[in-house]
Amino acid sequence: MSIVPKETVEVIAQSIGITNLLPEAALMLAPDVEYRVREIMQEAIKCMRHSKRTTLTASDVDGALNLRNVEPIYGFASGGPFRFRKAIGHRDLFYTDDREVDFKDVIEAPLPKAPLDTEIVCHWLAIEGVQPAIPENAPLEVIRAPAENKIHEQKDGPPIDVRLPVKHVLSRELQLYFQKIAELAMSKSNPALFKEALVSLASDSGLHPLVPYFTNFIADEVSNGLKDFRLLFNLMHIVRSLLQNPHIHIEPYLHQLMPSVVTCLVSRKLGNRFADNHWELRDFASNLVALICKRYGPVYITLQSRLTRTLVNALLDPKKALTQHYGAIRGLAALGHNIVRLLILSNLEPYLSLLQPELDAEKQKNQMKNYEAWRVYGALLRAAGLCIHDRLKIFPPLPSPSPSFLHKGKGKIINTDPHKRKLSIDSSENQSPQKRLITMDGPDGVQSQDQSGSAPMQVDNPVENDNPPQNSVQPSSSEQASDANESESRNGKVKESGRSRAITMKAILDQIWKDDLDSGRLLVKLHELYGDRILPFIPSTEMSVFL
Amino acid sequence: MDPEQINEFVVGYLKKKGFSSAAKDLEAYHHHNNNGSSFTSTDYHNDPELTKLIRSFSQQEDDPTRYREGYSNLRSWAYNSLDLYKHELLRVMYPVFIHCYMDLVGKGHTQEARGFFNSFRRDHEMVHLRDLQKLEGVLAPSHLEEMEFARSLRKSKVNIKISQYSYDLLIQYLQRTKSTLMLGIINEHINFQVYSGQPTPSSDDIEAVTIFGSFQDTANHINQKEIQWGLLEDSLEDRLEKTGGLLSDSEKGQGESKDGDADDSKKRSTEIGKQGSSLKKLKKDKAGNATAKVARLETITVPPAPRVKPELALPVMSTDVEQSILEDLRNRVQLSSVAMPSVSFYTFVNTHNGLNCSSISHDGSLVAGGFSDSSIKVWDMAKIGQAGSGVLQGENDTNDQIMGPNGRRSYTLLLGHSGPVYSATFSPPGDFVLSSSADTTIRLWSTKLNANLVCYKGHNYPVWDVQFSPFGHYFASCSHDRTARIWSMDRIQPLRIMAGHLSDVDCVQWHPNCNYIATGSSDKTVRLWDVQTGECVRIFVGHRSMVLSLAMSPDGRYMASGDEDGTIMMWDLSTARCITPLMGHNSCVWSLSYSGEGSLLASGSADCTVKLWDVTSSTKLTKAEAKNGNTNRLRSLRTFPTKSTPVHALRFSRRNLLFAAGALSKPAS
Repeated sequence: MSIVPKETVEVIAQSIGITNLLPEAALMLAPDVEYRVREIMQEAIKCMRHSKRTTLTASDVDGALNLRNVEPIYGFASGGPFRFRKAIGHRDLFYTDDREVDFKDVIEAPLPKAPLDTEIVCHWLAIEGVQPAIPENAPLEVIRAPAENKIHEQKDGPPIDVRLPVKHVLSRELQLYFQKIAELAMSKSNPALFKEALVSLASDSGLHPLVPYFTNFIADEVSNGLKDFRLLFNLMHIVRSLLQNPHIHIEPYLHQLMPSVVTCLVSRKLGNRFADNHWELRDFASNLVALICKRYGPVYITLQSRLTRTLVNALLDPKKALTQHYGAIRGLAALGHNIVRLLILSNLEPYLSLLQPELDAEKQKNQMKNYEAWRVYGALLRAAGLCIHDRLKIFPPLPSPSPSFLHKGKGKIINTDPHKRKLSIDSSENQSPQKRLITMDGPDGVQSQDQSGSAPMQVDNPVENDNPPQNSVQPSSSEQASDANESESRNGKVKESGRSRAITMKAILDQIWKDDLDSGRLLVKLHELYGDRILPFIPSTEMSVFL
Repeated sequence: MDPEQINEFVVGYLKKKGFSSAAKDLEAYHHHNNNGSSFTSTDYHNDPELTKLIRSFSQQEDDPTRYREGYSNLRSWAYNSLDLYKHELLRVMYPVFIHCYMDLVGKGHTQEARGFFNSFRRDHEMVHLRDLQKLEGVLAPSHLEEMEFARSLRKSKVNIKISQYSYDLLIQYLQRTKSTLMLGIINEHINFQVYSGQPTPSSDDIEAVTIFGSFQDTANHINQKEIQWGLLEDSLEDRLEKTGGLLSDSEKGQGESKDGDADDSKKRSTEIGKQGSSLKKLKKDKAGNATAKVARLETITVPPAPRVKPELALPVMSTDVEQSILEDLRNRVQLSSVAMPSVSFYTFVNTHNGLNCSSISHDGSLVAGGFSDSSIKVWDMAKIGQAGSGVLQGENDTNDQIMGPNGRRSYTLLLGHSGPVYSATFSPPGDFVLSSSADTTIRLWSTKLNANLVCYKGHNYPVWDVQFSPFGHYFASCSHDRTARIWSMDRIQPLRIMAGHLSDVDCVQWHPNCNYIATGSSDKTVRLWDVQTGECVRIFVGHRSMVLSLAMSPDGRYMASGDEDGTIMMWDLSTARCITPLMGHNSCVWSLSYSGEGSLLASGSADCTVKLWDVTSSTKLTKAEAKNGNTNRLRSLRTFPTKSTPVHALRFSRRNLLFAAGALSKPAS
């Protein structure tokens, strides 16, 4: 009969101390309760409307009670609307989340920040009927057909002001802006100004309409200007700025942008002069690839897989130039350690055997080729090293490291402890020797960890510069240690510490091998392939234990 | 059948019909009779027909299921009737439905009434949702008495226009099926206006289906009254047209206008220096100036609005003010469907859901906000412009910037009310603010002294809206007490009380010639009142929900009203007809404003958009429409979405710059 059941009336009566309420009385009261509630709600809605709101709040109900000369119910006023939760198991039962608060917590809690005072902000919602693209206005959804056309369609009655379809969707300002940026990118004469332009590209909010123009421009120029190294570099910088701009939705244009970036990564020849540091460009592009995958990978599921396929094809094709291999390795490395482990490390041995003749300066007379081979080798080493470093990082700390091992501020490593603890004690014991390995060779470890943390983002700072010796040196295995030493000395880029510890390392690695662990095996394999050069990637504070 | 049974029936019947004293008498009489000699005539004792009738009478009256049966039979009959007449017959269903329901409630069959209501409410929800929501709560006879809406429904008859044939069909059906109950309800509560010929197309339903309460006849009657919708003679517009004519051919006039430009540019830059793009604006103003001149020559060819004499003693305007207004009018940008206005948006941030209303002064330099904590805050936009040049740089950092160097408030705080402030309005020169509040008072504030000057007490309930007249001095207010009142600034008692609305009066607006005010109400009507006599001169029926905003066209011929559902209606004041409904908003229309020359209507809504409507074409088209039938009635020109700001207030400045204001509200997650 009434939506208020008589049980409700009875419960309320009990709660206010009326125990002898007759069931008939409850039955009679129920419809009236409903009527009163509805009446109050009607008035409350009026109050809400006059407060220019569309959500009913407790204060509106208070206002309605006031209107009816009823004492308001105190204690429910709050700034915002209540958040109702659904009671589990009931379709239409809701409750407010009213937690019990410990008095002590309330007292001890720091004072909340004073609420900000009301202010007025002023902006142009429209200028002569056109909404300017400024952060205060709602973002334009996509580039849409000019509004005039819509009006044209809409009006088919007699009084039409017929307007020709508008040719320029872009405002004059935006056109000028685009031209200026394009000019700067092409001219390469004014680096300071170009830097400013990049900042503007990365931060301006009204640029969305230009995105298709920029992607087009980049695609065109990359395909035409493969010989112009500076131009390519500028274009990649533009890509990066566009990616950084928080106001731009670049997703719809990624498919146009990606080929250009990948081209800059794995093209056979970038730039036409010997002096062009195309390695740097490749590194930059690889970082862009990583950035894109990281940000849009979850949205475009096929993005990463397609990219990976392209890169792996480039890597595994022995006919491709070494420069291309280098790009592919860098690209894969930028995609993350799992990719490296799955795709590079599994192919590492055959690939290194292919690379071997190129590396040997005696066999490969062409110095340029030799240099390239070493670059590739360095890239591989770095990829593998970062990968193994990453794997080792997840192992738990030693149960009882002696205080002396914790010297030289190994903050980084210690900071990662919480993750490590997740592994069982059992495994931590198993891996203790390895752990010792991990924690040795502190400075380098920290350094490489830094790299692994920031490499995908830090584009201006190509990482191999940090480890020049590793990249440009070295035969491939410990069996050839003497050769290695010779070549090192020839190249004059020797990493001394690594060499001096080589023998000890061998012993340690063998021990790990005995532990029969996946990573251990991998490490050993890497060590076999690379020799000492992998060691700087292996963080350690406890070298001394084994020395 | 023995006489005692009969007596029982009779007594029961009398009791049911409310003749309790008669029943008592009868009982006493019978009691007496039984004791004494039986002289009751017995000739009907053996009449079986009569007995049956009496018995059925008492049973029928009792039986609540008859309503359901009768109604559902009638309903299925109506739904199965011929398509041509169906919509007319269906129109009858709604009044029958609500009266059946109220009969059931009135007789105390609460449960049956509820069941009946729920099983058939779906039929009427589309058109009458709000009425149904009101009625749904009525569950006891006492509620019927108490609730105004129900009472007026019970008392009044509904007018339904119906074609002869539909009427015949209906009556035939009712008589054939002997559904006396339905027939009774229809007779009692529906007033058929039968016309000969074919039934009208269903598109005209709106009026036919609205239940007005008692005033259908009076409404028609009232709407016959004459009104003078023209502009005041010797108004500024009037003078402008004259001087405008001078200006175009005399050198003196040109020199003047140059001076004016210089003055004006100075004033502008100080007044609204806030955007930092005043240069652009100046340029635009000049351009607008040129076009305005050209356009003015055109407008003169259009027959101007008739002139009327003022019925109120109007305040004298100082020459300075007059000059500046004239200057503004001269420099007005001519707007049309191809020349759109610029919109400057004032966003209130950090309001913590407390902003109830906002108002913008005529020149856009002052903005007032009324808050639920009883305070009023007035911002001087010129000062804000000086304080921080980076006001436009984003919502996050502006707070620090405006609070800036000396950490002072950027606004003037006006305290005095003791309840949420529901409305605020600036006097035309911007030197006074009026505010109305839930504490039933209206207060007058001076923006120069930043102090409260007068407190007007008169309303008995929260005052929903207050508006200054176009010439200042007088103002109108409206309240939950169902009245609108006219006041003058120098008296603390109202000059006129306009009573007649059946529910809250939610908004009020002055006619440009000051002789009329319009009020919008929760009873879903808009009324026009004569200020001098205090009489209602027009009733506009057609909205389906509470009317929230009103605007009068500058020539005084048209009125726009916006409601809770997002519908905007354009009315012709002289005929009280809706010219066209403007559909497009999907939430409350908080604010409406006509552009200076009346060619555009701007509407601000809770759906976070400002829409511009071309109203010249819509008014012109009606003539064409009459000839070639239905054409596209929508004339929405532009929609400007804000990020997340419901638009509370709109105002076209005298130069046709559109100001809008609203409080930034975080979308509910």
